[in-house]
Amino acid sequence: MGDIILTMKDIDKSFPGVHALDHVNFEVRKGEVHALMGENGAGKSTLMKVLTGIYTKDSGSIIFEGKEVEFHNTREAQDAGIVIVHQELNMLGHLTVAQNIFIGREFKKGIRIDDKKMNEEAAKLFERLHIDIDPTETMSNLTVGKQQMCEIAKAISHEAKVIIFDEPSAALTESEIEELFKIIRDLRKQQLGIVYISHRMDEIKVITDRVTVMRDGGYVGTLITNECTKDDIINMMVGRVIYEDPKTESAVPKNAPVVLKVEHLNAGRMVQDVSFELRKGEILGFSGLMGAGRTETARAIFGADPKTGGNIYINGEKVEINTPQDAVKCGIGYLSEDRKRFGIVVQKSVAENSTMASMENFIKGLFINKAKENKVAQEYVESLATKTPGVDQLVVNLSGGNQQKVVIAKWLIRNCDILIFDEPTRGIDVGAKNEIYKLMNRLAEEGKSIIMISSEMTEILRMSDRIVVMCEGRKTGEIDISEASQEIIMNMATREI
Amino acid sequence: MEKIKQNPIVKKIGINRIVLCIVLVLMYAIFCMLSDKFVGVQRIMSALNYAYFLGFLSLGVTFVIATGGIDFSIGPVMFCSALISGYCLTSYGVPLVFSLLISVLVGFLFGVFNGYFVAYWTVPPFIISMASMNIAKGLASVFTKTQSVSWPQSADANGWYRSFIKVGNFPVGLVIFLVFAVLCSILLNQTKAGRYILSLGSNKEAVRLSGVNIKKWEMLAYVICGTLVGIAAIFYVAAYTTVQPGYGDQYNNEAIAGCVMGGTSMAGGLASISGTVIGVFIIALLQEGILALGFSKDYQLIITGIIVIVAVYADVVTRRRKN
Repeated sequence: MGDIILTMKDIDKSFPGVHALDHVNFEVRKGEVHALMGENGAGKSTLMKVLTGIYTKDSGSIIFEGKEVEFHNTREAQDAGIVIVHQELNMLGHLTVAQNIFIGREFKKGIRIDDKKMNEEAAKLFERLHIDIDPTETMSNLTVGKQQMCEIAKAISHEAKVIIFDEPSAALTESEIEELFKIIRDLRKQQLGIVYISHRMDEIKVITDRVTVMRDGGYVGTLITNECTKDDIINMMVGRVIYEDPKTESAVPKNAPVVLKVEHLNAGRMVQDVSFELRKGEILGFSGLMGAGRTETARAIFGADPKTGGNIYINGEKVEINTPQDAVKCGIGYLSEDRKRFGIVVQKSVAENSTMASMENFIKGLFINKAKENKVAQEYVESLATKTPGVDQLVVNLSGGNQQKVVIAKWLIRNCDILIFDEPTRGIDVGAKNEIYKLMNRLAEEGKSIIMISSEMTEILRMSDRIVVMCEGRKTGEIDISEASQEIIMNMATREI
Repeated sequence: MEKIKQNPIVKKIGINRIVLCIVLVLMYAIFCMLSDKFVGVQRIMSALNYAYFLGFLSLGVTFVIATGGIDFSIGPVMFCSALISGYCLTSYGVPLVFSLLISVLVGFLFGVFNGYFVAYWTVPPFIISMASMNIAKGLASVFTKTQSVSWPQSADANGWYRSFIKVGNFPVGLVIFLVFAVLCSILLNQTKAGRYILSLGSNKEAVRLSGVNIKKWEMLAYVICGTLVGIAAIFYVAAYTTVQPGYGDQYNNEAIAGCVMGGTSMAGGLASISGTVIGVFIIALLQEGILALGFSKDYQLIITGIIVIVAVYADVVTRRRKN
């Protein structure tokens, strides 16, 4: 580790009703990977937004390369050498890799754009990073992992001195993560300062040098990664030891009735002849690599996308589900992996979002019974431990995990018996994660049936009673938890058909 | 300023609406100072005449904009309603009560037409409303054989509909308009329909995946709009008597300006009926003031254009700041 390159001192920031950052300290040295950890809503993103000029701080100081700085937008931060690689990729799919990397500062030949030079420069960048990508390839043809590499290359091309990775591994497969780590180690060798935001404890231990933990907008402390244990970090984050015990055998009785039966479901290329059964009180894990067709299967069952064939039976009766409306009538609820797009209505309050799927229970005459609505929403805020100043708070002001809980509340209030949880803990920190796990176990015990789609192997093995594995749009395996192991599932998920 | 913003009363009314009220009062004061002709009841009554029909247009289009859509057909549809129903009254001898109902019906049908194509065929609202604007103009011309239509004067046998606007010097129209505004506000904020209209304006896909029939509710917004436009036609003829085919476009912008100025977001999901009401009064007063100061109507077009730009820009800026 080299000299300090960036210091954030006593950073304070308030939003109406929320003290988002309470005198936070943070520093990055040259040639270190510094993890920034904390539960959802702890203030990690806010701190990074203050750093890169998206938010203005109320007080405190930022010292970069020995000088006090204040950026007014990301462009200024970029020019100074501080770059964020976002979790959501900001790439234009129809342009080539090189065009994306040099967007906004294209090389010109007269008034024409010099694509040849851009391709050469991009190739040089990739060489420096030891990445194997063709600069002339169209961006949308690349996998998510490769796209992320391009995003990193773009950051480097800005002469970055500090790079912030905001949950870079969330959408990557195991091998892509390995590749990402190789690049990060390379950058570290080149004396860059790296901030690594992630919820995955294992990665933190592997890749980072130091860990700074935040909680509820405050600074908790900084540890040397080698000298601390996972539990140390977790305790700093939440102040309690967590995680449900993993299941070793199915908790579902042998004679539990089948509540959902899917037969020969087809929907485009991504869902081909999928059949499975879901029993009462069961958590059925859906495992597979990205693009295996799990989300597509869920959306087809839920009627969100059209299906081209197949039958669905609920409690033994054949049902026609062509729209989400039909699905909800059949008692199916769907929790999307992308809650911002598919889950919540940001300009509406917690209460209004909670009752979105069950309005008819909150109508008195012509009007909405707001008193009842607020009361019921409040009950669920309490039982799910949603962190919000009140039920009239707009959901846009809540953190990711708490938004997720609002969506769960929406389906619980609708009293759905079959719940499809699509990546329920993506982008959610350990503390909130465990709460969601507990909640799922509780729901299963109460007799709800859950389909849980997850890309995290540990999550699948921890939660499922039974596991369905998919690969390239087909079901490639089904296995009881008592027989399941990481290797067996991985084998099924990559099996050639 | 921060302190004022945190005041509970100010929060309840909304800083935006308070500013608009101040603008309204200031504008009136300035017009009075610039022209002594402006002082007095007559001018206010005249400005109100303009505010009524524009107000109904604006209330209507507020629902459409709340869904994230737009309707450029409201002005011409209002004229179409007034022309068809007026022609029925004067040339076919349809009783007045039925003529008024026809007016509302024509607006309603255009609402159904627009809403159906937007919601069920997913045609962009911009395109469909441009098309129905032309249809409305053409239809009115064909129906009236390109003749202008004059509705009865107050002294005529069928003139009682004019008391919708005023009886003596009492502004009945204001009372009716405000009652409708309150009804719209209740509809938008306290019923299932309003809840879904606003929600789908904010995030249509999330509402759909909640098992809500979004098509129905999106279409409803256009139907509400069309119906209010049909009512606007009645208030237009009650104030100005004569309608010519082929016009009406300029009221689109004025109605949308009133609505956006009042704090309804062009991106959908946010709407304020009370804001729309104040916005409409400002536009109506502006129109009256410009005429009173001896400028031609063309200046009003320019100013309304600028207002739309400023209001939309302000909306974009506040949203950016929130994000």
